[in-house]
Amino acid sequence: MDVYVMGVAVHPAADAIGDRRLEEMAYATARAALDDAGVTRRDIDHVTLAASDEIDARGISSMLLAAPSGAYLKDEMRVTDSGLTALFLGAMRAASGDLQLGLVVSWNQSSVGPLEDIARMRAEPFYLRPVGLNFAIADGLFAGAVAERFGIDETAVAERVHQRMTAAARNPRAVRRAVRSVAEIAASPPIAHPLRQAHRAPVTDGAVAMVLASGTWLRAHPTARPLARIAGCAWTVDRYQLDAERLADTARFSAALQDALSRSGAANVDALDVVELEAQSGWVDLALTRSLGAGGHVAVNPSGGTWAQNPFFCTGLVNAAEAVLQVGGRAGPHQVPGARRALAHGSSGFAQQTHGFVVMEGVSA
Amino acid sequence: MNAQGVAVIGVGQTAFRSRYDEMTYPELAQEAVALALTDSKLQPEEIDAVVFSMAPTTFMGVADADKWAVDYAWARGKPFMRVHTGGATGGSAFQAAYSHVASGQYRTVLVVGADRITETPDAQFVLNLIWDAFYEQDFALNTVTMTALATQRYMHKYGTTEEQYANVVVRARRHALNNPSAHLKGAIDIAAVMASPRISWPYKLFDICPRSAGAAAVVVTTEALARERCARPAFVTGTAGVSNTVFMGDRMGPAADTDFADFSELKLAAHECYRQAGITDPMRQIQAVEIYDPFSSFQFPQLESLGFCASGTAQRLSDEGAFDMDGALAVNPSGGTLCTNPIGVTGLVRAAEAARQVMGRSAAMQVKDVHNVVATAIGGSTQFFTVTMLSDEPRRRATAG
Repeated sequence: MDVYVMGVAVHPAADAIGDRRLEEMAYATARAALDDAGVTRRDIDHVTLAASDEIDARGISSMLLAAPSGAYLKDEMRVTDSGLTALFLGAMRAASGDLQLGLVVSWNQSSVGPLEDIARMRAEPFYLRPVGLNFAIADGLFAGAVAERFGIDETAVAERVHQRMTAAARNPRAVRRAVRSVAEIAASPPIAHPLRQAHRAPVTDGAVAMVLASGTWLRAHPTARPLARIAGCAWTVDRYQLDAERLADTARFSAALQDALSRSGAANVDALDVVELEAQSGWVDLALTRSLGAGGHVAVNPSGGTWAQNPFFCTGLVNAAEAVLQVGGRAGPHQVPGARRALAHGSSGFAQQTHGFVVMEGVSA
Repeated sequence: MNAQGVAVIGVGQTAFRSRYDEMTYPELAQEAVALALTDSKLQPEEIDAVVFSMAPTTFMGVADADKWAVDYAWARGKPFMRVHTGGATGGSAFQAAYSHVASGQYRTVLVVGADRITETPDAQFVLNLIWDAFYEQDFALNTVTMTALATQRYMHKYGTTEEQYANVVVRARRHALNNPSAHLKGAIDIAAVMASPRISWPYKLFDICPRSAGAAAVVVTTEALARERCARPAFVTGTAGVSNTVFMGDRMGPAADTDFADFSELKLAAHECYRQAGITDPMRQIQAVEIYDPFSSFQFPQLESLGFCASGTAQRLSDEGAFDMDGALAVNPSGGTLCTNPIGVTGLVRAAEAARQVMGRSAAMQVKDVHNVVATAIGGSTQFFTVTMLSDEPRRRATAG
């Protein structure tokens, strides 16, 4: 795409951000992204938000959040799927020829929102809600399905979680927490068989913002320095029903991945240097990594992924921010040397009903 | 791929009424999808991406309503996103679909939504929850009392009478008689509106829209495919939106950028939409509007901010019949939101009705010699605005982005 990332900001992550209202989190993050881009709010002509009313506990979350996110008297839209979805829509708006410079902003403060109660209200009322479906049960069903289909076992899951926690310890944007041993993870309490408590990534609070520019804007501002080009993106949705065929079916994941690669001009996944996957549990991590099929030279989740920070609704957009930082050489201690192409992934819905991908490409100075 | 022209080639909408007890939510959405696909002469596999139009889910009680409807919209394996900007949702969702195609990323996109406002026993209780929990919810604010305040301010500024608003209702219900999908319709008079029960001054019951259930869908595609598939497509020649602060107190007084009585944000959005569409004289170049009017007081400030007349003059033109079907500007030939309000899709219905006018498919609602039709949508605390232009000729782009 002829769309560029000009600035990026990730709110300092924490298990619970209790000293700021959502409006303050959104404002601070949007402002930091504008500063990173070297532009002001006056320069932008549109804003694309992603927020969940249910997680934010507001009837229409953007009523109070649009203005602090930079959208006062701007052309603003909101999606509710995930933070990463706002990046997709924001990129298309910038590529439409009508809009030139915009903000993408998303946030999550689920420390004050009961996620599993919200999950129950997401379930349709005839079959899923009466059986008590929530995220834990959906993730447990997924774990059981991929254990049977792919032979993934609890030992491999514990090892993968330990690996991600170890990586997260090097990430300056991660929530600081002790790395648990494989034995500790394996012995953690069961949640929904075969899912155990420590198999799941802890949910955190956070916010993330990016400034996107059209190629037209960039060429009209020759002194502006883009951080990355959005080389290509693709997203998809699977069936709602959580039967065995749907749970372990990775066809939608693979098809959208190939679509994103092909739109970005990458021949295959091995043309990438970095991949940041969203995995809400070690079971998901192993299943998606298997479907990714990347060779050993591709760094998968060098940030530690969801074990670094996991602001549930906008984790995919955090991954996109990590991808931008990697191709710009600004990731920090977990920087992958010479990274030029980085893929970010996000998902949403019960047992990953949706998947989205964006390929960020480094831009030569 | 470069930026490209976009057109509507088909629309579908169910009948709108109070309840659909015989259908689930996704089945309702599916009915609109099937109608839109039939109208477009397309098979489901020819849809490349889906945008779902759904406002607060609290009314119907399933937060994942859109994801539940995936299979019913034949969306499995396709790019899919839900847009939600309160009452402006349908307008924003349509514009999001436009961006899918205009950006060159997708060729044919389906926008679909459904709503069932009467699933909740008290919609206005739910609508109180859209305000800030700490400062505003305790003030008994809901969409009725909120817009009544703006209406009082407008009446104070321009001397509008309750009877002039009642006349808007009479016209809307009369227009809706031609619309087989409309929820409320009928030949009523000003006295009947004035005699309806008082709700919140100056509103009486008939000044307020119904709570509707139903679904709508629209298919947009590239200019090239539209010319291939449709004898008279409705080209999307202008799209714009403006968001304002939630706080009404910040939208009045000498220091304010906008005035909440005048919907003056709409001037900004209309200016950009008209710039794109090449509209310089709205009253001459635009033949009909489908504007978002859940209350009888929403027409005058919108028509003024859209540039059809000067501030404070729409009420006189309305009295004189300028906004009737055979007037200078046909305002809401469908009966508008006053007669039908399934909130999550209402803005989409406005765009669909505007497109049908351009396509010549409005049957008894059809306005003669249509070239340009404007659709609006409004949401939040009357703070989110979209303006969309549908035209019989494509937009002339100066440059490809």
